Amino acid sequence: MTPNGWLQIAVFFALVLLAAKPLGLYMARVYERQKTFLDPVLGPIERLLYRITGVNAEAEMRWTEYGVSMLIFSCSTLLLTYIIERLQQAIPLWNPQHLAAVEPYLAWNTAASFTTNTNWQSYVPESTMSYLTQMVGLATHNFWSAATGMALAIALIRGIARRESKTLGNFWVDLTRGTLWVLLPISIFYALGLVSQGVVQNLKPYDTVTLVEPQTVTATGSDGKTTTTTVTTQTIAQGPVASQEAIKMLGTNGGGFFNANSSHPFENPTPLTNLMQMFSIFLIPAGLTVTLGKMVRSPGHGWAVFAAMSVLWLAGVATCYWAESQPNPLLHGVNQQVVQMGAVQSPGGNMEGKEVRFGIANSALFATVTTDTSCGAVNSMHDSFMPLGGMIPLVNIHLGEIIFGGVGSGMFGMLIFVILTVFIAGLMVGRTPEYLGKKIQAFDVQMSMLYFLIFPVVILGFSAVAVSSTSFGTSSLSNHGPHGLSQILYAYTSAAGNNGSAFAGLNANTHWYNATLAITMLAGRFLMIVPMLAVAGNLAQKKIAPPTLGTFPVNTPLFTTLLVGVIVIVGALTFFPVLSLGPILEHLLLRSGISFT
Amino acid sequence: MSDLIFLAASIFFFLVAVLYLNGCQSLKGGGDNA
Repeated sequence: MTPNGWLQIAVFFALVLLAAKPLGLYMARVYERQKTFLDPVLGPIERLLYRITGVNAEAEMRWTEYGVSMLIFSCSTLLLTYIIERLQQAIPLWNPQHLAAVEPYLAWNTAASFTTNTNWQSYVPESTMSYLTQMVGLATHNFWSAATGMALAIALIRGIARRESKTLGNFWVDLTRGTLWVLLPISIFYALGLVSQGVVQNLKPYDTVTLVEPQTVTATGSDGKTTTTTVTTQTIAQGPVASQEAIKMLGTNGGGFFNANSSHPFENPTPLTNLMQMFSIFLIPAGLTVTLGKMVRSPGHGWAVFAAMSVLWLAGVATCYWAESQPNPLLHGVNQQVVQMGAVQSPGGNMEGKEVRFGIANSALFATVTTDTSCGAVNSMHDSFMPLGGMIPLVNIHLGEIIFGGVGSGMFGMLIFVILTVFIAGLMVGRTPEYLGKKIQAFDVQMSMLYFLIFPVVILGFSAVAVSSTSFGTSSLSNHGPHGLSQILYAYTSAAGNNGSAFAGLNANTHWYNATLAITMLAGRFLMIVPMLAVAGNLAQKKIAPPTLGTFPVNTPLFTTLLVGVIVIVGALTFFPVLSLGPILEHLLLRSGISFT
Repeated sequence: MSDLIFLAASIFFFLVAVLYLNGCQSLKGGGDNA
């Protein structure tokens, strides 16, 4: 670890802190339908959209109507993306490489992946998806899934804020306003900023160029014969990258235009774009804490939630940065030639799978930020991290991606933790739990527990089946032993958390993984949203009791401490056993000189 | 044929989600909103 590395981490967080309040207050105005400076431009577009689609913008919805509208919208857009993928070869538009139709299992996995804000990619985008599919099938989902998450978070906040109300707002209005007022304007300027740094934006066919220095490649075929070929040309993949990159990060989507994702120089060319990308992942989730404080009329509560998120983020990035700064004991000092200790010309540590231009600090920070949220973009390969360094992304997702979290989904996930915290605090002092004046009762806790239980059930259930089968489960592994368990665990964790990042060593483009990961993604998104909305609807109907001396305040350091404790204990109790068999065991074995192929 | 299966599976999942939503709604008894 170096002072320079820590300075860069501090600058990143300072930017997030500075941006949270203005953006959060702006989003509160957008969702409360108050006047904003963009109304003269966007107001007519909004009204036109409602007229075309027949939406009554003044109609309010109960939580069930809100939920069914969200499910209908998500189902329709999933089917649309599936059809586009399957027909891309037949559509004579924006397919200059003449890429074939996407295979059905992969098409379904990808449609589920982008609908759920996961952006898990079991394919190489530049050789699988046409420009049309990338733009119309996938990038649109980057807007819609993010706007859906934000709408759902706002619905829960309204449920907390409203008094004896049967309704939570209008899903179609929230979806439209989140897209038009928040995601689109920021994405446009963000994409232009990326272009200024060298991110590609065109619709040209790929270029083929002659190599300055031809490469000789020796490969062994499946028949055991060794062939040697000289490569003299290279295909340069390109396309409408910047426009997709902006919403990929801002909407915590994470699906790369290229297979190498944000480690590709056309997606993330400079240290400045790297900072912009990490900042934009946290931007809206951090702002939503201020939106929460504003809408529930308790700014201190919003900042208390922000503080809890910040503490957990700092713990994660510090651990990951420390772990990656350590020399690999199996490499360091081998034949007295490999040196991984820090020196004047080298920061030291584990550089396997990392871009030299980003280094260890920015790789550890990126990995932490992308898994604190549901983003899943990567600028380094998590599979190559040291065991404890790679455990941090896993743990971040296991905690529910509530450390700032996915756009919207992080906020509603954190608020369910808040309800659980308030409930436990109430039990401690023997009073009926109250959250901002609302009594937390049996139904709220039942739905909260349903929310928490679905997550480990799908992760651990599918992981258990996969590790038990050599034919369809472990046959996809590139490493066995505890690291192999981590690869499978990471895949289902990432899918259930709608994260989308991967331990790159697992070949997930098989019928088993494509089908089960798609089911995991759908369950991890929609089966958790439904009980959350039920809590929102139930809270909205309650009276708000005035605070008394016995009320547990939710805007104090004590509340923040208790909230962090509940999050860590729930996450640790649920996933510690499997983590001890995966990355923790791998760490101990590595220290003893044992590794697995 | 595969296409029909996946399209049907998608619709089936969301129908199950709607039923699940109704199930959550029906779990809520009366008199819980003091």
